[in-house]
Amino acid sequence: MTFEPRIVGFLCNWCSYTGADLAGTSRIHYAPNVRIIRVMCSARIDPTFVLKALHDGADGVLICGCHPGDCHYSEGNYKMMRRYPLLKSLLADYGIEDERVRLEWISASEGQRFADIVNDMTERVRALGPSPVKAALEADLAER
Amino acid sequence: MPDDKLQIAIYWGAACGGCDVSILDTDAFILDIDKAADILLWPIATDGKYKDIEALADGHLDVTIMSGAVRNSENEHMAHLLRQKSKLFVAYGSCAYMGGIPALANLAPREEIIARAYLNNASLEPGNTTVPRPRTSLNGYDLELPEFYPRVYKLDQVVDVDYYVPGCPPQPGQAQAAITALVMALTGQAEAPPKGSVVGAYERALCDDCTRTKSEEKKVKRFYRPWQIMQDPAVCLMEQGILCAGSATRSGCGVRCPNSGIPCRGCYGPAPGVVDQGAKLLSAVASIIDSKEPDEIDKILLTLPDFTSFANRYSVAASPLQRSHRR
Amino acid sequence: MEDLKIGVFVCNCGTNIAKVIDCDAVIDSVERLPYVAVARTYKYMCSDPGQDMIQADIQEYGLDRVVVAACSPRMHEPTFRKALQKAGLNPYFLEMANIREQCSWVHDDPLAATEKAAALTAAAVMRVAHHEALERRSVDMCPNTLVIGGGIAGMSAALDLADAGNRVYLVERSDHLGGNVARADLTAPYLDSARDMLTERVTRVVRHPNIDVLLESQVRKVDGFVGNFQTTIRGKADDGAPSDRVYDIGSVIVCTGYKEFDASRITHYGYGKLPNVVTSFELEKMLRAGRVTTKDGKIPQYVAIIHCVGSRNLEFHAYCSRVCCMTALKYAHEIKSAVPGAYVSDIYIDMHAFGKGMEDFYRRSSEIKTLFLMYEKNDYPVIRKADATDDCDMLIEVNEILSGETIELPADLVVLMVGMEAREDSAEVAHLVNISRDKDGWFIESHPKLDPVATTTDGVYIAGACQAPKDIPDSVAQARAAAARILARTARGRIEIDAVFAEVDEERCSGCRMCNELCPYVAIEFDAETRRSHVISALCKACGACAAACPSGAISARHFTDRQIFAEIEGVLA
Repeated sequence: MTFEPRIVGFLCNWCSYTGADLAGTSRIHYAPNVRIIRVMCSARIDPTFVLKALHDGADGVLICGCHPGDCHYSEGNYKMMRRYPLLKSLLADYGIEDERVRLEWISASEGQRFADIVNDMTERVRALGPSPVKAALEADLAER
Repeated sequence: MPDDKLQIAIYWGAACGGCDVSILDTDAFILDIDKAADILLWPIATDGKYKDIEALADGHLDVTIMSGAVRNSENEHMAHLLRQKSKLFVAYGSCAYMGGIPALANLAPREEIIARAYLNNASLEPGNTTVPRPRTSLNGYDLELPEFYPRVYKLDQVVDVDYYVPGCPPQPGQAQAAITALVMALTGQAEAPPKGSVVGAYERALCDDCTRTKSEEKKVKRFYRPWQIMQDPAVCLMEQGILCAGSATRSGCGVRCPNSGIPCRGCYGPAPGVVDQGAKLLSAVASIIDSKEPDEIDKILLTLPDFTSFANRYSVAASPLQRSHRR
Repeated sequence: MEDLKIGVFVCNCGTNIAKVIDCDAVIDSVERLPYVAVARTYKYMCSDPGQDMIQADIQEYGLDRVVVAACSPRMHEPTFRKALQKAGLNPYFLEMANIREQCSWVHDDPLAATEKAAALTAAAVMRVAHHEALERRSVDMCPNTLVIGGGIAGMSAALDLADAGNRVYLVERSDHLGGNVARADLTAPYLDSARDMLTERVTRVVRHPNIDVLLESQVRKVDGFVGNFQTTIRGKADDGAPSDRVYDIGSVIVCTGYKEFDASRITHYGYGKLPNVVTSFELEKMLRAGRVTTKDGKIPQYVAIIHCVGSRNLEFHAYCSRVCCMTALKYAHEIKSAVPGAYVSDIYIDMHAFGKGMEDFYRRSSEIKTLFLMYEKNDYPVIRKADATDDCDMLIEVNEILSGETIELPADLVVLMVGMEAREDSAEVAHLVNISRDKDGWFIESHPKLDPVATTTDGVYIAGACQAPKDIPDSVAQARAAAARILARTARGRIEIDAVFAEVDEERCSGCRMCNELCPYVAIEFDAETRRSHVISALCKACGACAAACPSGAISARHFTDRQIFAEIEGVLA
C-alpha cells in the first residue's frame, strides 16, 4: 500500500481558491491528497491553524495566497509573508521537516499552476512518509 | 486530625522551588494558612513523608497544590498519588500549568540532554562515563532512581486538574488571592470557580496594566536584545524593537518586568481563550516587521535569534506540537 | 451545543459529481456524525425541486443547520442561502462543501475522490455546528457611477446609465473621447465608418445632462464600499494646474481598453528599420487621410498584410487578439479600394472568422482577389529589403503550408497586424479599484463563463478590451451589461451587503494597539478614553488579518472564527 499523504490546504477566497476552482472548470486533473479549507485572505491564517493541522494528523500543510501586490485586501498576503519565516523556524525547532509546510502565491487564473503545486507537494510529502506527530503525541499520553 | 481544619498538600515536581517560595512570600498570610489548614506534605517546609500520603483515604486531602512539571517517574507517581488522595488538584505555577522552563528540554532528545549534562561539558572530568541509571545494586542493596522520561509533561497531561494558577512564580499577592478563593470555596463560604479556570490572574493581556505608552506606530526595522539599546522607559518595548511577550500574556503579575525595564517573558501564559501563546506571539512579531520584501524580512529576522525559545518559553508542553518530533 | 439538527444534502449535479463520486457512500459516512438529522442526495440541488427539498426538510426535521455538498460556494452559496432564508432559517447557517470544482472535476480515481468528498463534507458538518446567526446590513445605494475610460465601451455604458436618469462621471485620461476606435477609419465586417459611429456616441455623451465628461483627468483614489464609494478625480483647473475633486458614487465601471503591441520587438519584421513596414494603426492613419502611400510618397503596387504580430506567440503573448483577422480583411478591401490595381496578400496562420457576418466577409475578401498565404505557427515570414533590380521595395519569404512551397513575395508596403496588450497603467488602475489582473495583465472577471462583467470587488465592473481582447460589438455588449447590472441595484435604492465583519471583544482587548495599523481600510479605531480598540463594521471588509494578529485573541472574524476553522481542520482529518 503506497502511503497517501493527507495535506490540509488553506486557500484565500479571491485568488488561490478561485484558481483551484479554475483548475476544476478546466478539468485539469491532479492528486487527491489536498483537502482545502477556505479563508477570505491568507492574512486570516493564524499560525495556530498550521500547528493544529499537524497536531491533528496532517502530513503536510499548504498555504496559498495572492501574489504580492495583488491581494484583494491590499496587503494581506504581506502579513502572511512576514509570519511564514517565523513559522518555518518554529517548525524546524519542533523537528517538522521543511517540505511538510509550504507557502505558494497563486492567482485566480493559475489553475494549472495550482494543480502542478499540489502534485509536486504530494510527491515530496509522500517521500517524507507519514507525519509522526499525531501518533507520537498519542503514544506520549497512552500510559500516563 | 482536627475536623475543622482543611487538609492540604503542597508539592513540587520538576521545579525550582520558586513557587513554594512564592507561598512563603505571602508573609503573614502563611500564618492564616496554618490556622485554616494542616499541611500534610510540603517538602520545602515540613516534615511529611510519602508514606503518610499513601496511608490516607482517597479524597482525604481537600486540596493539593502542585508546582513543577512532570520530568521523571517520581513526579508522575506523586502527581497520580496526590490526585487520588485529593478532592481538588491545583496546578500551581507556569511549570505545572504549561510545562514551564523545564519543558524547553522537549526541543532536544533525551540522549542529547543526558550527554550534555553528564558526558560532554567543561565542568566534568574528561572521559566521564557515569550517567544516572534507574536501578543500581550495590553491596546487597538495591538503589532506585526515578526514570528520566523522554519528554516533559504539564500536569493536566498526566492527571485531572481542577484549577491553574499561572506565573513563574505566581506573584505573592495573587498566590494569596488564589489560596483564599480556594479556602472560601472549600469551606462553603463562596462559590467555587468553574472547574478548569485559571485563578489568581486577570482576564486581559499585560498591556492593559502596563503604563508604557502605546501608539499605533508599530513598525520596526530590526529587533534588539534589551542590553543593546538605551530604551525609553515610558514607551512600549515592542515599538522600540525589544521583543516583549506582554501583548500575548495574561495580566495579573503586576507588570513587574516591563516596569523594571525588562521585557515580559510570558510566564503567566496566554490570554483567555487562546490556544497557543507561541502562535500569537509569532503573529504579533510578524505584524511589526517593517518590510514587504522576503530578503529584507529575512535580514530583519537575523536580529531575532532563537525565536522558538521566545515564543514558547514557558509553554512548549502546552503548544500543539508539545515537543520536537525530529526522528 | 444542545440538540442541534444538521441536514446534509449531497448534489449529484447530473453526472458532474455522480460520475466520479459515490454520493451514497458520502451520505453513509456523514450520517454517523454528531447532530446529523438527515442526509440525502439529489440530482440538481440548485434546481427548484432541489431547493424545495431542502426547505421541506428544514420544516419537517426542524433543522438548525444545513450542509450542501455540491459545486463551489463561489457558484451557489447565495442560492442556497436564499433557500434557507425562505424556509425561515438564518442564511448563515449554511455551509457548502466543494466536491465538484475541487473534487469530481479534478480527480479520476473514484475511491480517492469519494473519500476526499466525504472528508470535505464532514468538515462542513463540523464547521456549520459553530455557525452563528448573522444579519445582513442594508446600506444606501448611491445612484452615481464612475466610468473610467472614454472609449466606445465607456461611452456606451455611460449613455445607458444616464438615459435611466443616473449621474455618470466619465473620466478620460486624454483630451478627447473615442479611445482606440477614434484611430480607425472603417470597421469590419460591414465596412461601416468608425467616425460616424463615434460621432453619434460622442455627441450624445457630451450633450447629456446626466454625464459629466472629465477629460485630461485621472482617478487618484477610490475609498469606501459598494453603494458608498468616494472617488478623488484629478483634473485641470482653468490655469492648467492640477485640481482634485471628490465625488460620491455607488459603482465603478472600468473601461480602460488596451494598447497595441510594439512591433519593433520582432526583429525579423524589420519594423523601425525598414521604412515601409507599418503597423495596423499607422495604416489607419493613412486610410483616414485618404492616401495610402509608401514612405517616399509612392503608390504601392504590392501590399502584404501579416497576421498575429505579437499574438499567438509564446515569446510575446500566447493569446489571440481576436480582432486582427477581420481587420486585416478590412484592410484588403480598403487598400483595393484606395489603390485599385494593387496586389494585396494576406499572410496568416489561421483565419479567425468567429462572429456574425465574418465568414461571409472572408469569402468576399477572396472574391476581390486577395491572395491568401498560410504559414505555420512559429515559422514566421521574414522580410528583407529587395535589391535595386527588383521592382518592389521588400521581399517576404513565406513557408506557405497550403502549397507546400517557399514563396518569395514582393511588397512595397507591409502592414503588421499588431496584437492587443494590457496598458501599462493597468496595474495602477487595478490597485485603485481593488481588482485583479491575470498573467497577461487583463482584468479578471468574477466568473469566466457566467459573470463576465462583475469583479471580485462588489460594485466594480469591467467592460471592453481591458478585460481581454475583443471587438466593438462585444465591448459594447459588456459595457451595456455592466450598466444594466448597476441599474438593477440603483432601482432598489438600497442594497444588502454581507454581515461578515470582524469584532473586538472589549472585555478581552488589552489596548496593545497591534491591530490599528494592520487594517488596510483603517477600520479599527482606538478609543483613548476606554483604552480599547473597536472595529467600524461599515468599513471592515472581513479579511481577518486582525483576528489572526490579535495577540489576545480578542478579535473574532465573524463567520471565520477560530472555532469554526478548528472544527473544519478536525473534520478534514477525521
